[in-house]
This record gives sequence, structure tokens and C-alpha cells, in this order.
Amino acid sequence: MDSRIEAPTGWLSRRTLLAGSALLLAPAVLAACGVSPSSSTTGAASGAARQGGTLRIARPPASKAETLDPASSLSAYEYLGALYNRLVKLSAKGELIPDLAESWTLSADAMSWTFVLRKGVTWHDGKPFTAQDVIFSIQHILDPATKSPQAGVLSPFVDGNSIKAPDATTVVFALKSPNAEFASLLTGYNCYIIPAGSAATIGASGIGTGPFKLKSFTAAGPGSIVRNPNYFGDKPALDGIEFSSIADTQARVNALLAGQVDLVAQTNLDFATAKTVSASSVATVSSVKNAQWYPVPMLNTSPEFKDPDIRRAFAHAYNPDEVFKLAVQGNGTVAHNNPVPPSEAYYLDYGLGYDPDKSKALLKAKGFDHFDVPIYTSSYDPVLSPLALALQSSMKAANINLAVTNSPADSYFTDVWMKKPLMTTYWYTGRPIDQLLNQIFRTGSSYNETAYSNATFDQTLDAARATVDAAKRKTLYQDAQKILIDDGGSLTPFFSDRITGLSKQVVNYSEHGFEFDYINIGLRA
Amino acid sequence: MLTFFAKRLGWSVFTVLLATVLVFSAIQSLPGDAATQLLGQNATPSAVATMRQQLGLDEPPVSRFFTWLGSALHGDFGNSLVGGGSVAREVGSALVNTSLLAGITIVIGILLSLVLGLVAGLTRDRWPDISISTLALVGMSVPEFVVATVLVLLFSIYIPIFPAVVIAGQNASLADLLPSVWLPAAALICVLAAYIIRMMRTSVIDVMESEFVRTAILKGNSTSRVVFKHLLPSAMLPTLNVIAMNIAWLVGGVVVVESIFNYPGIGTLMIRSVQTRDLPTILLITVMSALTYVVCNLLADFAAFLLNPRLRYPRSSK
Repeated sequence: MDSRIEAPTGWLSRRTLLAGSALLLAPAVLAACGVSPSSSTTGAASGAARQGGTLRIARPPASKAETLDPASSLSAYEYLGALYNRLVKLSAKGELIPDLAESWTLSADAMSWTFVLRKGVTWHDGKPFTAQDVIFSIQHILDPATKSPQAGVLSPFVDGNSIKAPDATTVVFALKSPNAEFASLLTGYNCYIIPAGSAATIGASGIGTGPFKLKSFTAAGPGSIVRNPNYFGDKPALDGIEFSSIADTQARVNALLAGQVDLVAQTNLDFATAKTVSASSVATVSSVKNAQWYPVPMLNTSPEFKDPDIRRAFAHAYNPDEVFKLAVQGNGTVAHNNPVPPSEAYYLDYGLGYDPDKSKALLKAKGFDHFDVPIYTSSYDPVLSPLALALQSSMKAANINLAVTNSPADSYFTDVWMKKPLMTTYWYTGRPIDQLLNQIFRTGSSYNETAYSNATFDQTLDAARATVDAAKRKTLYQDAQKILIDDGGSLTPFFSDRITGLSKQVVNYSEHGFEFDYINIGLRA
Repeated sequence: MLTFFAKRLGWSVFTVLLATVLVFSAIQSLPGDAATQLLGQNATPSAVATMRQQLGLDEPPVSRFFTWLGSALHGDFGNSLVGGGSVAREVGSALVNTSLLAGITIVIGILLSLVLGLVAGLTRDRWPDISISTLALVGMSVPEFVVATVLVLLFSIYIPIFPAVVIAGQNASLADLLPSVWLPAAALICVLAAYIIRMMRTSVIDVMESEFVRTAILKGNSTSRVVFKHLLPSAMLPTLNVIAMNIAWLVGGVVVVESIFNYPGIGTLMIRSVQTRDLPTILLITVMSALTYVVCNLLADFAAFLLNPRLRYPRSSK
């Protein structure tokens, strides 16, 4: 259950972390490691990696039902980018760049996309990679039996019969409705390409086209991958990577400090732990800029938040700078209730700011002298509870009383998420904007955690998708952001950097969104 | 005598059964089930319904429990709802790993605490007793996860002698586990030993005051003879129960400690199974834990019977 990458689902037992009582400001942690917060990943050493060596990564296991099938919601995330390729991937600036597709074009009506594939690519078992594999992979995602989270994203545009291969290196997608951003939807981490006919075997075989080949894999256990000598791109610096599954966050960090592993994956260190790691002689911390988005979904179907004026009152009720400082020690970026990260090319610099008087007036107009509602939180992620507490104290001035209610981590995303009127949650950033707005805010979409429903907003997204002219399309996506924010559709106080721990021997660690650089990461020469 | 043991046996069976009923109900009352936990946040209601049907979770709880009980009585504990493999095999392999940890803990822990308790009792109120008793009090009051964390800090990070965690997973070999087993065992020993030391010390002091030991000393027996022949059997009696209780307690302590060391045993499996609401796995672990508990208590009673002359030779009722 790759929960912390999709919306989290609470697999892992996390000890309650006292992030709120952090011992120092995170920037100080990072400064201690000679960090200038500029690129997407800071703090990791860069420079010459020696050729070869084996990197040891500790990862949180999904479950005993873990699989190497990239389309599945139970995929073993850390293996995917090493074993497989997609048609296209995202650069750190959020641009589409080639992966298995060399180039792509869209028709003037945005109804047809043509991808030209790389030639001479082979699978790990030596078979040639062809257009048929691409068709099969997309069909596999769309197959209801796969239960892929990406099916709901792609199915409005394609079905199994709408993908054709005029020749071995060309794939044509005939869309059901226009989408000038369609290719960006194929950057999702469920969209890795697998061999044709491998639906039943891929979960264990891991046969891909990627820079590493599978050597061994045990669900929720250890596994290893080795360099693929026939990889079509730049050769990886490492000979191989060994993965171990460690469920307990503290145990993962202990393994790093004891020199048993070189990198802890999917682990957002709380500030106290980050301090411990950066003080260690063998390990250090690295920070991935704005890697985590912390929204506070107001459930629009609940009696409390069905009225947009109440939602707007909430958006104006707290001081984002104060909440940002309290919850994450100013380690990230204040968001002013815009869910789109500032690094996104179509980002609109707009938001609902702090205005407690306006908040009180809005509540008063609806007949409320004060407004009481529980806010749910859990120990799932170290930032959730500090965020709830910070909001509670910040909203008091606007006569809003939040009763902070702690909920068990392992059922937080089945029991609280999308069910309680107000809660704290988080996502990895890195979704293309079209997917972000459609998947999380469009009427009826699968991850619509606020149950937001606004016809004008939906139509604006449709218009944006149908617009081939990039400048016009950008304007439409920005219009959509404004509609959403003005309607109290999003309560987003900030984006937070993810602080991760790694050995001092590791060089060129780089991660952004769902992209992990497996090629350049290596061990110190 | 036989009726006494027959009665005890009957209670033991009832205890195991009651434990499974309680645990089954507890898991039922937790939010979510294996279907929702597996499918996670992207589950459509229809997918959850299909999955429930596949896993047989759509049956009413009572009938599911009796179905499970019926199979379990025939030795069939079913398949995991999550991994799909045989529960018996999975729990079995975890049990082997935990047995290694528990075995080392019990053997070293009991020997160490009996010796320390004896020394403390014999040197009552002098410095060996005071230092041993203080240590035991510390061991009692500090929770095992703190002990474990401190041990990792000292012996894996500052002075890297032992690994901090077990990297090999559920299928770890003895060679994988052997270097890693000592720190978790030490953490468990710290807590386990504390109680046994206290009990042993008290009983040694009590027995030393008793007339038969005084007589033995006055008769001019050597100290070692007095200790081993007269004092130990009597002092061991009340301690046996505490040992049995503590071994049964190990089942709980092992959950916390295994999790901290990523040790692939019953504790780690239990936590994971509760998170995924994997009932068959949880129920088998429950049966195993309850069995451990009642068997320990039965053995303690039996040993008490062997050690206690008054129980061995009951007065013939004239």
C-alpha cells in the first residue's frame, strides 16, 4: 500500500513524533550541512561518484500483498523507477521530457496524441521493446481487475480500444475528449511500461527496460537490483541497490545511524530526529524542496462546510506565517490556500490571506458568534498534529474553536479521510497540474477529499484541456485556481520540505516529485 | 492430585478459547477490515464489496468465527487475507525466529536473575544487595522501548558492536539473526530479570530466617551445601510462579522490542497483521500466545508440586 505517495493510508506504525517540540529550526539543521536552499534537493553531497558499489536503501514495506506491478496500488514504490521506464517523465522544472518516447505530437483539436518510440530498446529478458508493450501497459492500467489508482485518471480519455500502433515504434492515442495535457498524465508512477502479456507475472518478475534489473524480491522483505548493462540511457554509477523493509520509522533511522543502510526512503524526519542524524558522524540530512503538500480538507458535503462563506471564513481565520513557523519551523513555502505548488509552470500567485475581522464578519452574517468543530489528526506523519495544534491556536482570534482529536494512524485514511468534516493530511507534490486539479478537486473524482463540486471550475478545466495554445491554456488553469481558492475549495497553509536521512558516503542523491535519480546516485570516490 | 491437574487443564483450554473470542471481537470492533486496509484510499465501494466477498468477509461475524474454530480444531488455520499464503507456515517461521530470541532471553535471563537474587538475598542490606536491588528497580521502572533505544545508541551507534536492526526479512537464516539477536535479548532480559531478582531475593531472605536452614547451619554444614540443598529448593518455589508469569509476559514485551529492532518474529508479524486486519494470522498468533501463557503456568504448578515436599507426600487422611 504505497500510501504515503498516493494519499496515505496508514500502513505503518509510527511512533508519535514530537515534531511540535522540535529542538531547533530546520534551516539551522540544513545550514549545518552546508545547504543553500536553491535546487529541489539540498544537503546531499554532489561530486564524483566512484564507478560501482552497492547502495543500501531502507524502505517502509507496503504489506504482504506488495507487488512489482507498477499499475497496482500495492506496488513497491522504490523499485519502480529503477526497473521500468514510462513514455515520458517530468523534469525538476515540471516540463515533460522523453523516456521511452523520443518525441510526441498532438492534433490541432487535442483529440489525438502520437508518440514516437525509441528504437533498439530491449527488455531485461532480451526481448525487443515495441509499441505493443505500450498498448498492453495502458490496457492493463485500465483493466478493472488491476484496481489501478491511475485508471480513474486515464479512463475519461482513453479505453482499451483507443490506442493503436501503426508500426512498431509509433503509438497513437485517440482520445474520447480533448486534452492538450494528456501526456502529462502518463508521468504518473503507475504508468511504467511493462512487457505485453505480463499482467500475471510482472508482480514477481519485475522485467522492465530500466537502468537496473531485478535480482531478488520478497514482498514486505528484502530485495536487490543490479545494473542493466543494456540500458538505453546513461549507465548508472552503482553496481546495484539492496533494499530492506523496515516498518518502524525510528528503526529505519537507527539502521542509518548504525551504518547498516545508506538511505532511508519515504521517511520525513521530524526535526528532533533530523538534528540527531545531522550530528552523526556517518549520516547527514538532505531536504527535498516543497516535497510535501499539507492541505486541511473541509468536507463540502458536511453540514459544517457546505456553505462557501464558512469555508472562506476558515481560509481567512488563521495566520499562515504563524502556522507555517509553528508546524514546520518555516521549512518550506507558505501557500495562502492555493494547492498548486509555486514551482509549477502554471502557478497563480494568488490566495486568501489572513483577515480575522473578515472571518468573523462572514461567520456573523451566517449567525455564528463562534464556530466549534473538531479537527482530526493522527501520528501518521510528524507534521499532522503540530499543524492541527497550530491552526487551533491561530484561529482562536477569529472565534473559531477547533477541538484537536487524535485518531489511530492505521485507520486514519479509511475512517477519517473523506468522512470527517475537518482533518489534516498530506500528499507528495509532483503531480502535473492537470492531474492535481482534476484528481483532487473535480466533481466526483476518486481523490476528491473535500467533496468539492463546482460546475464552473470543472468547465474551466475542460476548456483548458481542449486548448492547444499553451499561453491560453496557462490562463485557463490559472482561472481554475482562482475559482477554487475564492470558493473556499482549498485550505492549504503551506508546502513543506521533506527532510530525509542518508549516509555521508552517498553522492548525487536527487529527488523531485515522484522522480528519483537512479543514474547519478553513487558512493563517494 | 490427578483431579487437580485435570481441572487445571480444563481451565487452560477455556482460557485459550476465551482469548480467541476476545481477540476476534476486538479486531471486529476496529475500524476497517482487510478489504478496506488492502485497497486503501483509492477503493471504490464496489471494489471493497468484491474483495469482501473474495475474502469471505461478507458473512456475519459469529458464523465466521465458528467456521474458523471448526477448521482450527482440525489443525487448519486457513490462509492469510493479505499475502494469501498458509498462515501456519508464516506464523511458524516467525515463531522459530521469536523462539531463538525468547530462548536466549529466558536462559540467560533466568540464570542471571537467580544468581543475582541469591547474592542479594544472602548479602541483605550490604553493598552487593543494595546495588543489585537498585538495578532491579531501574529495570522495573524503565519501559522496554527506552531500554532498547538506549542499547542501540550505546552498542550500535556509539560503539558499533551489534547491528541496530535486522536487515534480512521474514526468511532470515540463523546466520543472519545470530549477530542481531543480542541487543533485543538484552532489552528483554533487563525487564524480565528485574521481577525475578526481586522475588528471589525476598524468598532467599525468608528461607534464611526459617528454622530448617538455621538448623542446617548450626549442624555445621558448609555454606554451599546449605544453599544448594536446603535453601534453593525452598526459595525457588515462590520464584517459579514469577518466572512463569514473566515468560508469559515476554509474549507482549517481544512485540515492542521486535518492532524496534525490525526483528522478523511473532511481534512484528502481529503488528503488521493488526494493521492489515489479517484475522487468520492474528487468531493463530493469539492461540500461540495463549498456549504459551497456560503452558507456562501449568509447568510452574507442576514444578511447584515437584519441589514442594508437602504436595508430594500429602498427609494420608486418617
